[in-house]
Amino acid sequence: MNKLRIALGVQLLFFAAWGGWLLSSRNSDSPEFYLETVPVDPRDLISGTYVALTYDISTPRAGNCSFRDKFGPVFVKLENRGKTANTEAGPVPVYEAADCSDNPPQEPGWAAATMRHGFGGMSAAYGIEKFFLNENDPRKDAASGSVIAKVKIGHGRKLVLLDLVKKI
Amino acid sequence: MSYHSRLKKDLAGAAAEGLLTPEQADRVWERSYSKRAFASFKAVHFIGAAAGLFVALGLILVVASNWDKIGAIAKMGAFLLLFWGAAEACLRLESKPAAAVPLETLWFFMPVLGIGLYAQIFNLSGDPVRPYLLWAALSAPLAVLSKRPLAAHLTAILLFTTLYWGTLGSSNMLSLGAPRINEAVQPLWHWALALGVLGAGVAVYPGKKTGLPLGASAVWLFMMLVADTAIKLRSSALILLAGMSLAVLWLAWGERGDGEKPVLPLTVWTGAVYAMTFFWHYKTHDYGGYGAETTSAGGGLALLLFAGALATVLLRKQRVLPEGQTEDYLAKGLLAGSMLCAFLLFDATEAAAKLLAVIANLILAAFGAACIVSGAKNSDEKLINRGVAVITLTAVTRFIDLFGGLLKSGVAFIVTGLAFGVLAYLVNKGRKALIESVKK
Repeated sequence: MNKLRIALGVQLLFFAAWGGWLLSSRNSDSPEFYLETVPVDPRDLISGTYVALTYDISTPRAGNCSFRDKFGPVFVKLENRGKTANTEAGPVPVYEAADCSDNPPQEPGWAAATMRHGFGGMSAAYGIEKFFLNENDPRKDAASGSVIAKVKIGHGRKLVLLDLVKKI
Repeated sequence: MSYHSRLKKDLAGAAAEGLLTPEQADRVWERSYSKRAFASFKAVHFIGAAAGLFVALGLILVVASNWDKIGAIAKMGAFLLLFWGAAEACLRLESKPAAAVPLETLWFFMPVLGIGLYAQIFNLSGDPVRPYLLWAALSAPLAVLSKRPLAAHLTAILLFTTLYWGTLGSSNMLSLGAPRINEAVQPLWHWALALGVLGAGVAVYPGKKTGLPLGASAVWLFMMLVADTAIKLRSSALILLAGMSLAVLWLAWGERGDGEKPVLPLTVWTGAVYAMTFFWHYKTHDYGGYGAETTSAGGGLALLLFAGALATVLLRKQRVLPEGQTEDYLAKGLLAGSMLCAFLLFDATEAAAKLLAVIANLILAAFGAACIVSGAKNSDEKLINRGVAVITLTAVTRFIDLFGGLLKSGVAFIVTGLAFGVLAYLVNKGRKALIESVKK
């Protein structure tokens, strides 16, 4: 019985620590920026309703990115090259992939990703490919090119998906 | 009718005829019934387990539908409180299975509920297999430490399901198949992880029953050998050799834990030999195109499985027929023969394949006859039935498969019927001789 209580304690501790880590990553002091995205609308009984997102940065081509054909972790440099999008809050910067590296320099703007096989060949997954929302949310049916993803770089250089913003 | 239903009916009949007292009949039935896998489970417990499952799933949907109205910290706090409450109630109500079983079911599902909830709150995505492995890892202590086998069964099912689903997929951390035909194989650490999951699935399975987990492992390994993986086989002979070796290994090492005969592995082995009889129609193929080359790892593994199975047949007690010197020699010969005849396919000629089919038919006939004779000798009705079923199935299949025409099939049926008659006469004669020898 005591051993089971210890097991329960470990389980609760894991979820408390993980939740704290995710919260602090979301609230980390790093700049927010936007990414071009294409949503589709799958549903899942267990997960609820979400839109699956694919990004322009999922298939990076700039710099050393075009030579990547191996599975595994990679870092992608994201920067604004002058592209903007109009939202209700006004024009916002849209970031693009500028370079790729296995060992990036200690400077901001590098996001962690994992190279994997997709339907169109190798692609980079950032862990921001799902946006969960209420089943009555109109963004669930957002057309391609009508929304952008608001993100920031959190702990471990992982991208954190903050919002899905409608373009105007 | 299940075994226990039949036993109960037979015991009631025996009590009615005065062979046993009603109390003795009850005690015999209780003794047998209490040895089942879910011995302490009654219908109300299964309903209770279903209740736990539905509550867990319902909670997920309720939280999802109120997504916008609840803050992140409130959701996480409520989840942790619910998690603690369900588990603590399960621990406190340990002695009351009607409450403890659904609560333990809920406890088992709480980690995946939490993973799903956190994914919703923080918009997490990534490898589809990872949440399930994390769930299994978090539930493993409950599976190992719980007095009931429920969580252990559920965790083993979770691990094996994830293993099959993940390794056969092409873009997750367990994928072992090439993303596209003949493309680069997956990284080596995928294999390490897959074998770890397999080992965990076998280890966490409750009791000393190795039959089902070993069978699930054998089937998984065979699928990996056939799929486009780093151990792929593209030679009919090697596929057959590996398949038969796995069937023999499962039959030899799979324990049910209750001392009963390994019915499922024996049926699978018989089915595999039965499938070999269709090599009569084998045509030599050009297997080019689909992942054409057998890998050296796959070929080596197939030969290793064969060597292991052959050594097992030679050194380990056979479990095909009841004990006895003649039975041992015969069973070992049949098992070894079922594997060795795969070597005929290395020649890859149609004549060799026909010979293989003939040998497979002979193995089935010999196995069936041995079951009947041995069953008669040991008064084992089930063994006799098995033997008759094997011979009948083989004979009927061959009539349809080979003879086709009414006249030929009719004659073949008559010949087989006469053979059965002769066999019945010999079995009866042997039984009488045995009884006489005991009387002397």
